[in-house]
Formats: sequence, C-alpha cells, structure tokens
Amino acid sequence: MPPSRDAIVHRGDEDEVCPVCKSSRYLNPDMRFLINPECYHKMCESCVDRIFSSGPANCPVAGCHKTLRKNRFRKQTFEDINVEREVDIRRRVMTVLNRREEEFDSKLDWDNFLEQREEMIFNLVNGVDVGKTEADLQQYASENMRSIRTNQDLEAKEVSSFQERQNQEQELARIRRQAAREEKENERKEVMASREDLLSRLASGRPADAAAIAREGQKVLLKKSSARRSEEERIRLKQAALRGSDSKKPGQAAATAAEESGSGLIKGLKKIKSPEPEKPYDPFGGMVPNQRDYYTLRDHYPSPYLDPIRQDTRVLAGGYDLQEYYSRTLLEAFAGLGCFINEEVSKREASSLNAMKPVGTQGAAPAAGSSSQGSK
Amino acid sequence: MIEDDFYRTSSQFRLWSFAEDSLHSLRQNTNRLASDRVRGALRRAREARQSANSSAVGTPNPNGNDADSKLGEEKDIECLTAEEEQDLVRYFCEQIVQLGESYKPPLPTIVRATAIQYLRRFYITNSPMTYHPKTIMPCVLFIATKTENSYMSLRQFADGVPGDTTADDIITPEFLVMQSLRFTFDVRHPFRGLEGGIMELNAISRGLGLPTPHLPNQTPDDLRRFISSLPPSQNTPTSSSVSDRLARAYHNTREILKSAAQMTDAYFLYTPSQIWISALLLSDRPLAEFYLDTKLGGSAQLPESHPFTHLRTKLLTTLNNCSTLLDSYKPLASDADAKKAMRRIGKKLYHCQNPEKANLAGQKRVPTATAATAATASASDPATPESEMERLAKKRKLEGGQAEKHDIFGGELVMERTKERQI
Repeated sequence: MPPSRDAIVHRGDEDEVCPVCKSSRYLNPDMRFLINPECYHKMCESCVDRIFSSGPANCPVAGCHKTLRKNRFRKQTFEDINVEREVDIRRRVMTVLNRREEEFDSKLDWDNFLEQREEMIFNLVNGVDVGKTEADLQQYASENMRSIRTNQDLEAKEVSSFQERQNQEQELARIRRQAAREEKENERKEVMASREDLLSRLASGRPADAAAIAREGQKVLLKKSSARRSEEERIRLKQAALRGSDSKKPGQAAATAAEESGSGLIKGLKKIKSPEPEKPYDPFGGMVPNQRDYYTLRDHYPSPYLDPIRQDTRVLAGGYDLQEYYSRTLLEAFAGLGCFINEEVSKREASSLNAMKPVGTQGAAPAAGSSSQGSK
Repeated sequence: MIEDDFYRTSSQFRLWSFAEDSLHSLRQNTNRLASDRVRGALRRAREARQSANSSAVGTPNPNGNDADSKLGEEKDIECLTAEEEQDLVRYFCEQIVQLGESYKPPLPTIVRATAIQYLRRFYITNSPMTYHPKTIMPCVLFIATKTENSYMSLRQFADGVPGDTTADDIITPEFLVMQSLRFTFDVRHPFRGLEGGIMELNAISRGLGLPTPHLPNQTPDDLRRFISSLPPSQNTPTSSSVSDRLARAYHNTREILKSAAQMTDAYFLYTPSQIWISALLLSDRPLAEFYLDTKLGGSAQLPESHPFTHLRTKLLTTLNNCSTLLDSYKPLASDADAKKAMRRIGKKLYHCQNPEKANLAGQKRVPTATAATAATASASDPATPESEMERLAKKRKLEGGQAEKHDIFGGELVMERTKERQI
C-alpha cells in the first residue's frame, strides 16, 4: 500500500513528524528519514535502527504487513514518494527489457517494443494486472538471460568509452589552449626583438636609407608571421585528422545473441544469421583438370610414326613428353565441334553493338590507322 | 562441352568467325567503299593532269568541251564487283601455295595455310582495288613464316619471290597487313585435329579405344567390332584392312584440307574440328559417321530427350553444309573458263586500281608526327594525297632547321619570345 497522500502533502520543514515514533524535527534537528522500496513507508533513522537491527521485521505502519530488512533502507531521492517509486520500477524493468534498436527488424518493431515496455511500467506503477506483468517479466528474464547480460555489457562499455572520449577531448582542449598561449608569447617576443633590431639598424645606418630599412623590417615581420600561421594551420589539420580517426565508434558489434524468446513477449526481433561455413578452396572453380567431354585420353596410342619417339633419347632428353602431343591433337580435334558459328556469332553481334563494324578500306590507310583501328 | 569453351576463347572465334550473310554484306560494303574511293581518286588525278595541261598550253578550254570529256570519262571507270574481288583473292591464294612450293625446302603446309588465311582475312576489310594482292601476297607469306615458327631471313625469302621484288617491297606493307589482321596471328587449323582423330581411330581399330566420358557403356571390343564391320565407302576397295582404310582416309582428308578448306570460306563459317570432320565425311562417309556415333551416341542408342540427340542433329546439318562447301571447290588450274575470267579481271583491275595507294613505299615513310596531323586531316578525306604528305614533311624539316640556328637544344621558349619582341 502506498502511503496516504496526507502524510506527504503536510510535510513542512519544522513540523515534520516520524509516522512511527512521532518525534518531530523540532525536537530532533538531525533527524533523517529513510524509506524501504518494499512499501515506501517513511520512518526516521532511529526507528530503523531500533526496529530492524535485530533482523527482518514487519513494517511498523498500521495495516502494512510487509517484512522489511535494514540493508534495503535508503535515503529518498525525490521529494514525491510516487516519483521515487516509479523511478525504481522503471529501473528494474529497464534492466530486464534491455533490447537495443539494432536488434529489431524495423523502426516499427522497435517502437512497438518501447510502447510495450512503457505499458508494463505503467501497469506496475498503477497496480493494474501486477501479477501477470510480474510473471511475464520473470519468464522473459529467465529465458533471455544471456542476451540481457550481453546488452548490459555493451551498455557499460558504451558508457565507459563515452567517458573516455570526453576526457580525451578535455585533455586535447587543454593542450590546445596551452599551445596557443605559448604561441602568443613567442610572437610577442619576436615582434619585440625585430623592432629592437630595426631601431638599432636605423640608429647605425645613414639617414638616406631610413625609409628602406623601415620597409624591409616591416616585410620581415609579415613574412615571419605568415610562415608561423601556415605552420599552425598544418598542425591543426593534422590533429583534426587524428581526432577523426579516433572517433570511430568503438565496438559496434551487433551482439544479437538473443535466444528465440519462448514466450514471444517481444515481436520483430531480427533473425540471427550464423555465417555459412566456408567451403574448402577449389583452385579450378569446380572443373576437374584434364576432364574432357568428347574423349578419354589414353597413355599411349599406337602409331608407326610416333612410337620410335618414345625410345629416342635425343628427343626425350630435352624433356619432350609425347603425352603433350596426344592431349593437344585430341583437344584440337574436338575444340569447337559444338560451336555453331552461324547461330552464335549472329547472336553475339546482335547483343553487342560494337562487335564488328564494317571498316572498309579506310581502316587500312596507314596514316589514319591508329585512330580508326583503335575505335573498334 | 568443355572443349567448345576452349575454342570460344580463341581470337579466330571472337574476331574472325562470321555468319554467312554478314560475311557477304561485309564484303559488299568493302567493295562499295573502295569503288567510291577509286572513282574519286581517278577523277582527282585527271583534273590535276588537265589543269597542268591547260596551264602549259596557256589557252583555257571552252567550258562545254570540258564537261563533255568529263562525262565521257566517268563512264570509263568500271570497278570490280565483290565476286570478282573474291575470285582474284582466291587466285592469289593459289599463288601462295605455288610460291611456298618453290622454296627449297618447300615451306611447310601450315605456313602456307596460315598465309592464305591472313590474305583472306586482309581482304575482308580491304579491297584489291585499293591494295593490289600482288604486293600483299609475299608479305603475308613472310609474316606466316614468322608466326608459324619456321623463320627464314628476309633476303633469302625475297630471292625466292619471282620478279624483281626487293626485300623492301616485301616488308613495306607489313604493318598495314598486321593492322588489318587486328594483330591476331593465331590461326586454328584443322590439320592437327585430323591427326588426333585418326590417332584415336587407329587405337579403336586395335581394340584400345576408351569409352567417351558421357557414354560409359562402350567397351573396346564393341568399338573394334563396329569399326571392322563398317560398310565400305564408295571410293575404297572392299578388300582392305582397317588400318589401310584409315591411312587412305587420312591422306584424302588432308588433301581436302590443304586445298578446298583453304580456298573456300570454310575457316570463316565453321570451326576447325567441324572442317576436318566434314572433310572426313567427303573422303570416307561411313567411317566419319561411325566416329561421330562413338562421340555423341548413335541415333538408336539414345532416347529422344537426351541433350546429345539435339546436338547431333544440329551438328549433322552443319557438317553436311560444310562438306557441300568443300566439295564445291574446283582448282583454277584445271578450269579453262576460270583462267580466262581471271585474265579479264586482271585487265579490269589494271584500269580501276586506286592511283593514290599505288606506291606503298612512299606512304610508309611518313614520319609519325605528321601522321598524327594527317590522321586528323584524313577524318574528312581518308586518302590524304601524297603531295600533301611531302609538303608537311618539308615544312617540318624547314622548321627544324630554323630552330637549330639558335641553340643546339633549342633555346628557352619564353625567353626567345620576349627577346624577339624586344628586337
């Protein structure tokens, strides 16, 4: 049972009263109130110490029979106890239903999931169908333990990397500021030095040269500063490039290890595709070497011309293999037997526009040759 | 069939195989272009001559007379037809065979066959009216000696060519020829295929034949029995052993491949293995049909739905077409009418030879730099007159001489210009 609204509404600073021991802040200025998320009844610290030090006990508020433990008592964060309770429930539900957007097939599914989650939170907060909702939540948690864990890990990682990045950026900003400060100092020093140099030269030089020296000094100054500026620009670009490469998203691993949720609480989750196991490498792309369709090659063909070669050391010493001759002649005997040029070539010409244009004699004119031949 | 895919990668299949009608239209087109150009060139030559004459005489011709003579001459120019061109090319193909024969030792068959195919390929996109076959023929034979790996020195080669042909005359059109061949020198001949086929048939006749991969239930003994019980063909004596029969078939087939296959369009229209099997069909029909049956299954052995049945019927029509083409060939030497016709064509060609292309040697000497400018110029007029070339060359030489005056490496460009301006 939530505490009665009256107790919360009439809560002044002065006349705050512990609902258990009835001692007020007026008497005890250091009084702190604690709550237990089991029933959200407020009581003062001394009451908690007094009642629960010796182990779990019932809530002392009349009509509330919840068993409370001392270690669950904590300080209230929000003034409104209802808000406090809703935040707690929300946190609990969120840790269980922690699906991420990339796990869903479509934006619509993700939105549906969000709505469902909000509805469950609403139910729990307002006490509608509490039993069923709790049961659903429990079942889901037990079924999807693993994916919940991985998503939690991911979230933690994201938080930590975000912080890291934040720190890095601050550090960089600090370095930049320092560099700029030094830069300014150096510039000032240089300006002073060159001005002094100019003055000394003016002092020692002839009066006729005065204008020339002054102009020259000005020019040197300008040149120096422009060189410095371009150097700065270069460094800045380099740093920007470095930052760009750093800021690649760390670990966008789609950890979709979700089990097929048995209760089917969440719809529209992506199917997990386990990658196809790689096939063993086939260097011939499915063809069998030396496989032919028209003939089977023998090791030896009887022939009065070729047989002497098989014993002739003068031929064999060079590495000549008669097998080469056999395979080549037989291949040429059948290569193209099934190519019907009349059909295939006209089909080819129809399909490709630039197959073969009639070139005429102009193509062979030696002077114009390179241009017309190249265009074919 | 994997063997067919091997052939499909060859340049002969990719670039030099044509459907029959597209080959025809290609030749017609070449002929039309060349005749147009010849007419134009002859007219230009005549005009140049006339203007030279008239300036020499100093009295301008009356206009009407001039037009009359032009009209009369226009009729004179009568160009070769595509068929006449083809006959002429075939005549020169036979000349290649003879020329190859005249060397000692004679050039190998394969060199001659390659040269013939080069010549035939060259004259698909070029016309004899533009480049006379007389000048191209020795050149293709010389290229073929090199590509077919039976090289001989150019001087030795030139000595064998009849007439006062010099070594320079032979290699002058070499680049032109190679360009027209699209730099593909690989010619797939049917000769080696024939060797392989006869080799396998020999093995079958001795009971050593292995079954074809797709027909595993053939046995060597069955094959041997089939080959020895083949019906005799019309041109073999009945009482001959199988090996004699094979040897005779081989010899006859090879003769067909050496002559008819070279002199007809077979290489453009069919693949080498189709050509040799068609030639085998001509010389020993039962044997060739038996061999095809061992490869693709006989008509009785296979069901209708088998893919080989379809392939087989298609292949048989193709082979029959090819063998009719091969059979239609008659050698020129044995035909008196053809000889007479050839003489007429030769005479006709003398009159319609493109005068601007007559001197190949002059054109070859064009330096590459001017060739580039000439190429742009010739986009509109492909036949740049020779005088134009000479003018360009002379101009370049003049410019070169001027630059050399200042500095051996040529002075700095910008400096020079400013200096000139100051002066």
